[in-house]
Amino acid sequence: MSLFRLISWPYFRRHVLRTLLTTAGIVLGVAVFVGMHAANQSVLFAFSRTVDRIAGKTELQVTAAETGFPEEVLDKVQTAGSVRVAVPVIEAVVDTNLKGQGSLLVLGIDMTGDRSLRDYDLESGDDAVVDDPLVFLAQPDSIIVSNEFAGRNRLSVGQRLTLGTVEGEKPFTIRGVMKASGLTSAFGGNLAIMDVYAAQKMFGRGRSFDRIDLAVKPGRSIGEAQRELTALVGPGFQIDPPSGRGQQFEAMLTAYSMGVNISSAFALFIGMFIIYNSFSIAVIQRRSEIGILRALGATRRQIRWLFLGESAVTGLIGSIGGVAFGVLIAHAIAASIGTLIADVYGVAQRTDEIARTPGLLAIAVAIGVTTSMVAAAIPAMNAARVDPVQALQKGKYQVLSAGESRLRAILALVLGLVSVVCLTTAGSRPVFYVGYFLAIVVALLLSPLLALTLARALRPMLKWVRPVEGALAADSLIQSPRRTSASVAALMLSLALVVAFAGMARASYDSIIDWMNATLNPDLFVLPSPNIVVRTIRFPPAMAGQLAAIPGIRRVQMVRDARVVFRRTPVMVVAVEMKSVAETVTRMPVEGDPDEMYRRAAAAEGLIVSDNLAELQHLRVGDTLEVPAPNGVLRLPLVGIVVDYSDQQGTILMDRSLFVRYWNDDTVNIFRVYVTPGAHVSDVRQRILETFAGQRQVFVLTNGELKAYILKITDQWFGLTSVQIAVAVLVAILGIVNTLTVSITDRRRELGVLQAVGGLHAQIRRTIWIEALSIGVLGLALGYALGAVNLYYILQIVHHDIAGLRLDYEFPVATVVALIPAILGAAFVAAIWPAESAVRGSLVEALEYE
Amino acid sequence: MSRRMGRAGRVGRAGRIVLLAMALAIHAHSALAQNARQIVEEAQKRTDAKSQRYEGLLQVFDAKGKISDKRWSFERLGSHGNSKAVLRFTAPAEVKGVALLVVNHPDRASDQWMWTPAIERDRRIALQDRSTRFFGTDFSFEDLEERDVDQFDYTLAGDDAVDGSACWRIESRPKESKSSQYTKSVVWIRKDDYAFARFENYVKDQVVRRLNYSDIENVQGIWTARQMEMADLRRGSRTRLTLDKLAYNVPFKDEDFTLQAIRRP
Repeated sequence: MSLFRLISWPYFRRHVLRTLLTTAGIVLGVAVFVGMHAANQSVLFAFSRTVDRIAGKTELQVTAAETGFPEEVLDKVQTAGSVRVAVPVIEAVVDTNLKGQGSLLVLGIDMTGDRSLRDYDLESGDDAVVDDPLVFLAQPDSIIVSNEFAGRNRLSVGQRLTLGTVEGEKPFTIRGVMKASGLTSAFGGNLAIMDVYAAQKMFGRGRSFDRIDLAVKPGRSIGEAQRELTALVGPGFQIDPPSGRGQQFEAMLTAYSMGVNISSAFALFIGMFIIYNSFSIAVIQRRSEIGILRALGATRRQIRWLFLGESAVTGLIGSIGGVAFGVLIAHAIAASIGTLIADVYGVAQRTDEIARTPGLLAIAVAIGVTTSMVAAAIPAMNAARVDPVQALQKGKYQVLSAGESRLRAILALVLGLVSVVCLTTAGSRPVFYVGYFLAIVVALLLSPLLALTLARALRPMLKWVRPVEGALAADSLIQSPRRTSASVAALMLSLALVVAFAGMARASYDSIIDWMNATLNPDLFVLPSPNIVVRTIRFPPAMAGQLAAIPGIRRVQMVRDARVVFRRTPVMVVAVEMKSVAETVTRMPVEGDPDEMYRRAAAAEGLIVSDNLAELQHLRVGDTLEVPAPNGVLRLPLVGIVVDYSDQQGTILMDRSLFVRYWNDDTVNIFRVYVTPGAHVSDVRQRILETFAGQRQVFVLTNGELKAYILKITDQWFGLTSVQIAVAVLVAILGIVNTLTVSITDRRRELGVLQAVGGLHAQIRRTIWIEALSIGVLGLALGYALGAVNLYYILQIVHHDIAGLRLDYEFPVATVVALIPAILGAAFVAAIWPAESAVRGSLVEALEYE
Repeated sequence: MSRRMGRAGRVGRAGRIVLLAMALAIHAHSALAQNARQIVEEAQKRTDAKSQRYEGLLQVFDAKGKISDKRWSFERLGSHGNSKAVLRFTAPAEVKGVALLVVNHPDRASDQWMWTPAIERDRRIALQDRSTRFFGTDFSFEDLEERDVDQFDYTLAGDDAVDGSACWRIESRPKESKSSQYTKSVVWIRKDDYAFARFENYVKDQVVRRLNYSDIENVQGIWTARQMEMADLRRGSRTRLTLDKLAYNVPFKDEDFTLQAIRRP
């Protein structure tokens, strides 16, 4: 402790800026970790909280994924001996048409029994409305809104609220405003209650329910009720506590969560290099001090713990700052994830609060401190090894010894070989991940050598550009590889991540565009909602005939897609008129014969799956698939595997007749419309809108609009890349400022002599700038090289472990080119202050330094 | 009772003593000869009818004194456990046309369906939680079920007077097979005409609901209360049901008590 007070504290005080920069590395790493995880947790938490609050006293929920089921299922459930009360529920997310209010979650419930599970106490309005279901049920336009929603929109009882329904926009009468309670705060307060049977009509559910909420009889266990109900309703239903929906939602977000974890890990790794760099420099600079301490009797252990202690304190302060900053950025990230989830998964979500779970914050602080200490471990060990006699001598102690270089090269070679072996023989995923980790370690081991080699290679060019300044800058880099290499390594890691993400995005774009061009060839798409992934409002099949009768329409295809549970995973079922689709779309199967595949699928004798589902569930053509449905288990052979990007968890394509039979659901999500040759698409679109005006809510997208919409969603999905680029630029600035600050301090005498012999301020400035730009160039070169390897690994992970997507390797040239000015610009910005500091230093002091 | 006391007043003193002696003798005989169950059975038997029709006014008086009214027409075919009833709301305007079909069973809870004309559909009303209030009144769904004598154990708790009428006070407790929100009920049955005069329903030892029968009249040979008032003692509210245009043994057809029938306006 006394060593810390006497030695460390004065050092920190003398080097405030560098201490701040070092701490900033941890702040950055921890902030990205906290920001991304807190945002992710907040979205999951908001979803679970909405589910919980809506669930009320519900102990079990009966669902058939998101497909809904016939009303008769309710009768069966109500007869179960273990059920005290079972009530039907319909959930619909509708547009409010109120500025800035977004969507409203409408909960359709049956008031006659629902009050046993949920409280609907009114703040204003006639209590009889909720106490007396008769009044509520007799008026199908009755709606009760939460006090929060009413307050935000200055709505009161008796006023009308227009909502989008399957029959177009309809006015609803507010017959009550609910008192503030757990229920009213669900979905960010944007909650409304209406009669379940009126909701069926308004949202095109026919005679089906989305869900049954139930409570178990006293004395009967939940497990007992689950078993009884499973036997009663069959395997096509999920009977789970409300929390089960949260788990399904979480499963749906696996890919996104994985991306968040990778980003966070890289951010921390990068932070670690900034710390490592700072402590390595500190050890070098404080060699004399360490030598004196050792000469005075300090043990190696004491020296090691002095540096580890310093790193722990830095880590702690940085972590606390990182947590605070992370919570701040979490709001923006959560809003972005919320939009993404609504657009990609069709699950509307409002994240108004950021989850500050003590567990997450504690983990963040622990990770920050540990990262800092791990990063400082090697410098601390080097400090402990300092020989007191040598330490008091001056010398080129920063030069990598030939022995050390050789050792690093040998180790890198061995680990590189092991990595390649892991990759080529990767039978198991852990071996693959070990190989991936080793590849990164190899890059880190080689980075000082490569940085040195590259700096030597750069020297002639720099000298050619600016004979004096260029040579000085290059020499500075060559003479102090330790100082340079950690910054370069941090930048390299950061850029490697950006390259991988950008490459994945590029490959995904190209694959999605190919898929869209092959499969989405209708001229128009008729949808019940402006959002193509919203499936809570659907069309009746009779509309197909009405559409076909419109002049200029050649062909109409009905599409019903719905998320179902297959092998305990939520996947997408896409039910189409297979015969008609086979005539208009030519997909080349990844596995299976195209003619046979379409023939058997159209005859309802087989199923087709997407290649990502086949990969994730290890499916082969010929396997028998078992898909549980409300009307029994659909058992059919797999007749083909195709490329399909409808869903990240995978897609099962089937003939529409099978879906109608097994799911008892003939509704339609999308009509694919082909226009007669010669007819104008815009004219036909107008005719469709006119035909259904006032009858149905209809949105008609052209082929180009739909594709643009899908690409917009893809853009949002890869929005994470922009966070990576921001981190990369920040890392560049932090690392370079740190390196240059140290470089200037180290070279005060050299710079002083330069000025004394007539060196101009401009020349010194240019030297520093060139040095900074050179670090940027080295980081870019190594980062792109490692990025190329990283991209390969990331594509493998995406293929095998996340989404099952087979993406082609494509180096993201455009991103790489765009990053060059960004990183060099950041390097230059980072050099401005150190350069000014160098020219403003006192010449006398600089020469006295020695 | 008051009419009888009036007649008693018109006879002489000796006559009064004779009448009193006869009444005491009858009372003693009754108490000895009939146990509590038989009294309840007799009370139920005396209200048997082939059918019933009335127009009802339902008034809910909440704790703040606010009154809300509903009117309905009621038709019933059969009685007690073997009956079907159609209840059609006529006022206020927002509930007009809503109809309820109730099919009573002797051995289990009734089945109920509701027709909502505004969305043109019927729905089954699940009476799973029978302790919930019946459409915003102070009656619970269980209170409206026809009680079957076999589902309860009875104890004669003594004699009492309700609105001046001598009554048997009988305690009924649900048998193990009968699930009820109430721990016990105390029922007052008038001795002169076996008409129900009052019910008190208990949860543990606390009275939670009290039902009073008043304006008891003989309609076509059946002693019928024209007014029933249920008080929810926990909420402090009460609901009064007044029967008008009451008639028994009206010629109804079976097909008037079906789902198709209630869909008709």
